Amino acid sequence: MWSSPFITTPSSVSQIMLRVLIALIPGIALYVWYFGPAILVSIALASITALATEAVMLKLRQRPLKPFLTDNSALITGWLLALSIPALAPWWLVVVGTAFGIAVAKHLYGGLGNNPFNPAMVGYAVLIVSFPAHMTHWLTPHPLGDIVLTFSEQMNYMFNGVLPAGLTLDALTMATPLDTLKTQLHLGLAANDIRDMPIYGRLAGKGSEMVSIGFAIGGLYLIYTRVINWLIPAVFLGALFVISGTFHLLDPVHYVTPMFHWFAGAAMLGAFFIYTDPVGGATTFKGRIIYASGAALITYLIRAFGGFPDGIAFAALLMNICVPLIDIWTQPRVFGKKGGGK
Amino acid sequence: MRRIARSTLQTAVNLVFFSVLATAILASTYFLTRDAIKKSEDAEKLKLINQIVPPALFDNDIIRDTLSIPANELLGTEGDTLAYRARLKGEDSAVVLESIAPDGYSGRIRLILAVRANGELGGVRVVTHKETPGLGDYIELTKSPWIKGFDGKSRAVYKDADWKVKKDGGQFDYMAGATITPRAVVKAVNKALIYFEQNRDKLFVVNEAQKESAK
Amino acid sequence: MNLQEYKDILHNGLWKQNPGIVQLLGLCPLLAVSSTVVNGVSLGLATALVMALSSGSIAPIRNYVPNEIRIPVFILIIAVLVTVVQYLMNAYMYGLYVVLGIFIPLIVTNCIVLARVEAFASKNAALPSALDGFAMGLGLTAVLGVLGAMREVLGKGTLFSGIDLALGDMAQGWVLHIIPDYKGFLIAILPPGAFIGLGLLIAGRNWLNLRAEQKARSKPAPSIAAPEAAQG
Repeated sequence: MWSSPFITTPSSVSQIMLRVLIALIPGIALYVWYFGPAILVSIALASITALATEAVMLKLRQRPLKPFLTDNSALITGWLLALSIPALAPWWLVVVGTAFGIAVAKHLYGGLGNNPFNPAMVGYAVLIVSFPAHMTHWLTPHPLGDIVLTFSEQMNYMFNGVLPAGLTLDALTMATPLDTLKTQLHLGLAANDIRDMPIYGRLAGKGSEMVSIGFAIGGLYLIYTRVINWLIPAVFLGALFVISGTFHLLDPVHYVTPMFHWFAGAAMLGAFFIYTDPVGGATTFKGRIIYASGAALITYLIRAFGGFPDGIAFAALLMNICVPLIDIWTQPRVFGKKGGGK
Repeated sequence: MRRIARSTLQTAVNLVFFSVLATAILASTYFLTRDAIKKSEDAEKLKLINQIVPPALFDNDIIRDTLSIPANELLGTEGDTLAYRARLKGEDSAVVLESIAPDGYSGRIRLILAVRANGELGGVRVVTHKETPGLGDYIELTKSPWIKGFDGKSRAVYKDADWKVKKDGGQFDYMAGATITPRAVVKAVNKALIYFEQNRDKLFVVNEAQKESAK
Repeated sequence: MNLQEYKDILHNGLWKQNPGIVQLLGLCPLLAVSSTVVNGVSLGLATALVMALSSGSIAPIRNYVPNEIRIPVFILIIAVLVTVVQYLMNAYMYGLYVVLGIFIPLIVTNCIVLARVEAFASKNAALPSALDGFAMGLGLTAVLGVLGAMREVLGKGTLFSGIDLALGDMAQGWVLHIIPDYKGFLIAILPPGAFIGLGLLIAGRNWLNLRAEQKARSKPAPSIAAPEAAQG
């Protein structure tokens, strides 16, 4: 039984969480390289909000502050959320999302270890439902954009809502590679022709594909250091590959390659950092297989047929809610009982 | 045996009594409110029509002066729809058409639009849609004045290439991040105007016989 | 029936057995129409009216309806009353009728209506039954109103929007813009906001109850009991 041993020894929790944060760094570094430093400000804002909300909620719940504030779990929530939403956004966007995730999704459910839903993904869902327009303005990677904002110009937009004279958000931002794919398919273009558009690189979106690789490297480090179990990322990526590959083989005009699905959007972030969240994830071997392949299926269905460009977050939430059932269903059999897993 | 029969009969009579009572109450309420309901419904319809056909443009009973239009590809309709005709002192002044944009971000967008006799748009309104709240729903007048951008536009001034959002080289505004929705609406409005051009003569015909065929 | 019993009936409906946040009955309309105060309160009052009338009219005939056809007769009466309310709203509050739509006829299927008829009106006299139905309806109205206010202020920054639909054109200027220039927090208006809001209301009521209990308990034994209970 591996049910959440993480709350018993606070020091190891904070160490594990620290490793997760370290593992995010390659992805973040590539993010900064391709999209500029705005993401660092988002991450900083999210971190401050996460810690402040955590402190307020702990105080309200009359729990000790120190062990929970230093366990780094709030920071992970903040970082994951900041990485999931556009970097160039009004400051309150990331603040509202992080605060909602920590206060409602984490503490109202009983704090770390008791939250059925991944707080960062709840924050993301709240934001994309509430502020869909803001959530579509993604920075253009610098090999593509002719205009690059300076750091102070970015700050001026985030905190004052002012863009340099003569510039519009349209000129600086673009839809994500997944979103563009969806829009263009809607207009009747073939997947191959769409992939020839300049925003796409070798694997998926220019720039963002490299960030995905960065997250994958961090994820492999987490597996190597045994912070996360290899099963969930492997099954998730495998299932996503098989599902998207099947569609691609049957109808290559309308369905893009599995590689695209791997490296576009938040697939890598999801595989290694979101679905592996020990709190809301399944705990048995079979359970993890069901959990990860279910997440892949939902992700693909939302990407290919749904109303939102990416489905990682909704898949996480929907599978989170199935976890209690999955865990009961796949519990290793107790003596004498028939059935069980299958 | 007889007792059972009697109690069954009693129960049945009881049930019949309540059913009759219920029917009586419902029927009388129906007759008492029937005229008021009709009046409210007409008033509501007129309110909607008045948004795109100002009352100064007609003096006929526009709600009754209708023409049934069969399913039409240009209007995007798949069944009969009603066109309302506005006339001023016997002169045709405008017609209100229903149109469906089939290619919204999440399904169909139902529109009504008024076309003046001279081919200008009196206005367009969205009746129902399923676009993303906060993103594609700015086509509703309650969310943004975008839809008023159609007022006064016509195919005499705007050519086919102009009936597009600015992002695609046309004349119509859109909001960054949500272009599919306005694209669909602009396209549907243009097609409805083409329909008007092609059927202009038929649309205004006063015909008593057509009321029967329309049913 | 004495005054205390009437008070108990009111207290039951509004707080102790509140249909919305204690019995959790009739949640479908509760969640669906509580996006604004006006919508919520209107449907709540329509429900309260139906409940008062149905309980009040079923109580006096309760002894004449054979047990076997009790339920069909009750439902028939409730359905008639709902349809009458629906006709009246259709005729005289058309705007509201359109907004509330399917949820007016659905009052028939709101289990709280039949539940009160079964649990109370079929055992009590007309006057207390009518009061019980009305109190329960008011309890539901209160929850709908509070939930509607929470969702509307948070979601749109206004209060009483759409009041002209209920009270006519003269009320058009009565909408309060609590937060000027508010961008809107859409999730509060959308269905998830209803669930989250209702959850918070239930939690809030439980918290108030718990505190009241603690106070009551801590009075006789003030020194030791209180901090223990605080953990719960």
